[in-house]
Amino acid sequence: MDIKILLLILVPLALAFSIPLVDLINAKLRRFFVLVGILLESYLLIKIITENYTSLIDGDFFLQYHLGGWHPPYGINLVMDSLSLLFVSIVTLSLFLIVIYSIGYVGHHEGKYYVLYFLIAAAAQGVLLTGDMFNLYVFIEMLTITSGALIGFKRSHPASEAAIKYLIYNIIAGLFIFMGVLLIYFNLGTLNMAEISNNFSLLEDGVKLFISSLFITAVLIKMGIFPFLFWLPKSYDTAPSPVTAVLSGVLSKVYLYIFIRLVWTVIGIDTLTAYKLDILILDIALFSSFLGHVFALQSNNVKRLLGYSSIGHIGMILAVIMLNTEAGFYGGILHIISHMFMKAGLFVALGYLLQYTATHHYDDFQGVGIRDTKVFVAFIILTLSMIGMPPLLGFASKWYILMAFLEARSYFGAFIVIFGSLTAVIYYLRYIAKGLEEVKLYKGELRMEIFSRPLISVLYREKIVSFITYSYTAIIIVFGIAFRLLDMPLNMAIKSIFDIEKYIHLVLGG
Amino acid sequence: MFINAVFIILFLLGFYALIVKKNLIKMVIGLNLMEAAVFFWVISFSDIGGEVAIHKLNEAAVNFNDPVPQALTLTGIVIGASTAALLLTLIIELNKFTDTIDRDEIEGLNN
Repeated sequence: MDIKILLLILVPLALAFSIPLVDLINAKLRRFFVLVGILLESYLLIKIITENYTSLIDGDFFLQYHLGGWHPPYGINLVMDSLSLLFVSIVTLSLFLIVIYSIGYVGHHEGKYYVLYFLIAAAAQGVLLTGDMFNLYVFIEMLTITSGALIGFKRSHPASEAAIKYLIYNIIAGLFIFMGVLLIYFNLGTLNMAEISNNFSLLEDGVKLFISSLFITAVLIKMGIFPFLFWLPKSYDTAPSPVTAVLSGVLSKVYLYIFIRLVWTVIGIDTLTAYKLDILILDIALFSSFLGHVFALQSNNVKRLLGYSSIGHIGMILAVIMLNTEAGFYGGILHIISHMFMKAGLFVALGYLLQYTATHHYDDFQGVGIRDTKVFVAFIILTLSMIGMPPLLGFASKWYILMAFLEARSYFGAFIVIFGSLTAVIYYLRYIAKGLEEVKLYKGELRMEIFSRPLISVLYREKIVSFITYSYTAIIIVFGIAFRLLDMPLNMAIKSIFDIEKYIHLVLGG
Repeated sequence: MFINAVFIILFLLGFYALIVKKNLIKMVIGLNLMEAAVFFWVISFSDIGGEVAIHKLNEAAVNFNDPVPQALTLTGIVIGASTAALLLTLIIELNKFTDTIDRDEIEGLNN
């Protein structure tokens, strides 16, 4: 019983609902409040890590909180094992960086923005920490509603379209999860993940297959894997830059966590291998990765291009995880971390670079590199990491993914990794070349473009924004050189994925 | 059996409205119909013809309906209402720019 786990969810939740009250007193206090909240959240996390440092080293780290004092399998319980700790740490770091970026970026309607942002933060932490199926569903729906509202935040024509499309896809996915959860309840009479995982293999074959396919379809829709990828690039394009950074940097990784948790802990990978579903998902993911990279080649809109490239990378991660080997998980989770920082960093850099342009079109990219040289260098370093250049983090993770595919003799997967890198060279070089082209701009024209932008005005704290871009680049470079630092947390997370009996024992007995 | 038939008909009706109808508000109605079908199925499936699940002190409750699916469905209904409200808000917002709610005339929704 450690109340700090509950506070990890409650702090952003309380902050989200206290921001409108703070606005009533004095709107200038708002940013101070936001900073205090996110610092408190980081403090809680650091406190958890330092207090349990010895058990972390020994590899038996496990924390649990029973809401209302009900011992599982009855009440709702929050569980934190090594896998959730790793994800909570990287998600909190991302949210921390993006919230500071937002202070510099979001000009109008700041209050509403922070309410939605901290609701996303609370829901993401909740998804990562919960040990109860229905609670998981509620947090997933919270993510859907808040991120849908944030996608439509600009209130322009394309933003509303993208948000409607996003919501329709995601509501259907949520409905599938609801059906799956209730089918589990009717068949097993419990909602606790450990209890379900204990008894799931006793079910009839048809029921098992139906429940697993409901969950897997829902999570595939939410991650944007092949048959359901059409909502993703559009919503990445129209959302404001910090929101896109959250969508690609936090949400898609949280859904990957849900996938790992559901398939390995709750359903059990043996159920999937019995029906050969794992090979099906592997092939779908690889095909989706292929399609993502091909679509990215023909895209003339830089944010949409990054969305398609996200589809490619997430497909690759899903495929390497579905190999169900330790090497596969090592590469997959390392790539989750590196993609989280690379992609969010790219969107953050684009938010700075494209501040004067009306659209994100290829032609508008002309000359941005000459206008803001320093940030453009950071942008180039981040793209090099996406391609997989050696001293950067992207290289380390892609290398391990490639090794995992070769070890499992999945040569199509190895081909996709190389193919993704090669196409990435083509589509990023095009934009870098365009960015360095010289263009004559008059000051008057610039100002016209600034004031024609809807609602979210031009950056007025450029220093904060460029600083966050540099820190993303620094993370990529530092961890790229010293990626062995991530060795210990990754191995612990992998151990807790495979050791399901220990999870069940600790939740039900501890 | 009857419950399953009603569930399937309602669900497919909602799905039909979502896929075929060109009017955005009708699409939202279709989504809600799908949700309503699932909720209906859950509630009627959990009804085993027993008593209300209120524990009385000197009686041993033998045969009562499980209250948990009802509580879960209540949460589901709240979530469904809020998503529908958000969707309708976005449709109003979109209508300000396009002056139509026909899916075919709004080009961005089709690609």
